[in-house]
Amino acid sequence: MNNSSRKIWENPWGYPEGFIVAAGVVLTGILLQATTGKLNPDLYAYPVNVFVGALFVIGLLTIYFIFNKSRSVRWFSTVYSTLPAIVVLLVLCIILGFIPQFPITAEESQLPLDFFSSLGWYQMTTSWSFVLCCFYLLIILGFTTLYRTTRRQSWRDIGFYLNHLGLFIALLGGVLGSSDLVRLTMTVSKGNTEWRGTTHKGEIVEMPLAIQLDSFIIEEYEPKLVVIDNETGRILPEARPESYMYEGIGKKTQLAGISLEVTDYLPYAAVFRDSVHSNIVPMKMDGSTAALKVKATHEGITQPVEGWISNGSYLFPHSILQIDENRSLAMPPQEVKKYSSHITLYTEEGKTEKAVIEVNKPLSVNNWMIYQYSYDDSKGKYSDTSVFELVYDPWLKIVYIGIVMLLSGAIFLFVAGPETNNLKIEKIAEIESDKIKK
Amino acid sequence: MTWDSFLYFSMGSLLLWGISDISAYISREKITPLIFRAGGLILFGLFIAGLWISLERPPLRTMGETRLWYSFFLPLAGLLTYMRWDYKWILPFTTLLSAVFIIINIANPDIHNKALMPALQSPWFAPHVIIYMFSYALLGAVTLVAIYYLVKGEKLKNTSKIMIMADNMVYAGIACVTLGMLMGALWAKEAWGHYWSWDPKETWAAATWLGYLIYIHYRLKKRSSNKTSMIILIIAFILLQICWYGVNYLPSAQQSIHTYT
Repeated sequence: MNNSSRKIWENPWGYPEGFIVAAGVVLTGILLQATTGKLNPDLYAYPVNVFVGALFVIGLLTIYFIFNKSRSVRWFSTVYSTLPAIVVLLVLCIILGFIPQFPITAEESQLPLDFFSSLGWYQMTTSWSFVLCCFYLLIILGFTTLYRTTRRQSWRDIGFYLNHLGLFIALLGGVLGSSDLVRLTMTVSKGNTEWRGTTHKGEIVEMPLAIQLDSFIIEEYEPKLVVIDNETGRILPEARPESYMYEGIGKKTQLAGISLEVTDYLPYAAVFRDSVHSNIVPMKMDGSTAALKVKATHEGITQPVEGWISNGSYLFPHSILQIDENRSLAMPPQEVKKYSSHITLYTEEGKTEKAVIEVNKPLSVNNWMIYQYSYDDSKGKYSDTSVFELVYDPWLKIVYIGIVMLLSGAIFLFVAGPETNNLKIEKIAEIESDKIKK
Repeated sequence: MTWDSFLYFSMGSLLLWGISDISAYISREKITPLIFRAGGLILFGLFIAGLWISLERPPLRTMGETRLWYSFFLPLAGLLTYMRWDYKWILPFTTLLSAVFIIINIANPDIHNKALMPALQSPWFAPHVIIYMFSYALLGAVTLVAIYYLVKGEKLKNTSKIMIMADNMVYAGIACVTLGMLMGALWAKEAWGHYWSWDPKETWAAATWLGYLIYIHYRLKKRSSNKTSMIILIIAFILLQICWYGVNYLPSAQQSIHTYT
């Protein structure tokens, strides 16, 4: 059959039909959005999503086994349907990347009222057009994988199945599972036990577990010094603000054109002010502040300036050291190095467990993951409150199966390279012989 | 080792890479360009290692630090391509592009300090970013191939060999992009509670990934046009640039959790 004289919708279908079908999927989504309104993920929570997922997979298999000789069904396993589907998904991704997104909990009235809001694209990932595109891609991935099994299998097919089936599993699990995802926060103060979580809508939920906060510890990096403009308070030089992190007593450095020497350091200090001076004395207590004693000189002053600088705390004010009428030395709040909650965990089954939760080190209990989320930042390192996030995602294992398959598939791709490599040797030989002939 | 020595190390490396490029055109053997290029890479690698030790954290936090890795991996990608496919021009092209990123780092140095926010303190941090920077370098090199192809146009001989080379580079590149992206997903689950949140950086990472998937699938058809393939590569690389640093300037990304500097 001559492809160029082929009319549209005449077999075999090519890219034009592919783009029309893919655009049709988006259009269907837009129409659904206009008629049924925004997609409510709560309606698809368990068991509806399990039902939808089972129906989808059984539907794919049924159509495949009954109509696998049909050219139209087969077309869904070809590059001609795949490529336009990826292009359309890419276009939606680019739109998602450009227009600001609003959380799923946002009310209609909070969204801007324009063309995009009627399409649902201010909440792109839960818009009908986006979700339908994902399902269209899943249909293609499903048929492509099924038809591949009818070919004579070679070792290269391992990579194919890992990548395509892996993506099918991860994507289907991710899309369906998003309705079952629960994220709550729980605020616990030292010595207390809490079993109620708060949803992002502000509802209080009783949990099947309780957390007792035994202690909360914040470690900070060494204090830093900066030179600030007395009038604006901005860090100098304005074009490229500099800072110096404390390295030890007796160390000298240059900072924004000023020579500094650190002459003393108190990690725990108290600041007492009378009418003339402020006195800095060592004192280890809740609310004590870090303080550095610095000798500063620069061209144009005869006598070095020496004094204490501190970043203060919820208890004490900060202290700066004035160098001249324009500039002062100051200490910004220290950066947090690590924060950890030492907890005792109680479960409904009566289990008690001691654990430490840190950022990047969550605790897993009965399908729930407990994360270090935040603390009382008004008190800084003396916070006696820790905020946890609790996440429940029953579909995680399915998604991880897909991710592990995709990871292996990627390693396979890296090692095996493109299929054309099989032809490589003959082809290059052919090219070389062409050269000789010329 | 502090950032102050960067000028000497980078200029030394660029000199060695330049000699390697010239020697590739003069010498018949591949060994001379290989030795000089490797010498430059070792010198540059020593600087990265020294910076890592002195900062007491992986030097991967700031934009300038990622540029540092990029200027290291590009000449490496160029060398690997040259060793495998014999095209000499990929050597000076990658050296030049690396020089651009080195000059940006010299002219506009970052503030380097030891602080690393708790979210970044993870065993995933170094592999996630390093594999991404390596893929960016490979895909940068194949973009140079695409530009070379489009500029030379009809005058090129052996176009099928260039296409096979481009395919190989894209397969290796997207394999690394996939690894970097999924490691990021596994890390995100550990750090933020979910493996994919459609944060602007993640959205553009997905867009980049889809862009290269389009190339791969388009190339599967024997009748695909070489020119269109090369244009797809350039568009995909633009998506990659938005993902790498472009997102920092997008209004949609102001609350992104991926902007650190």
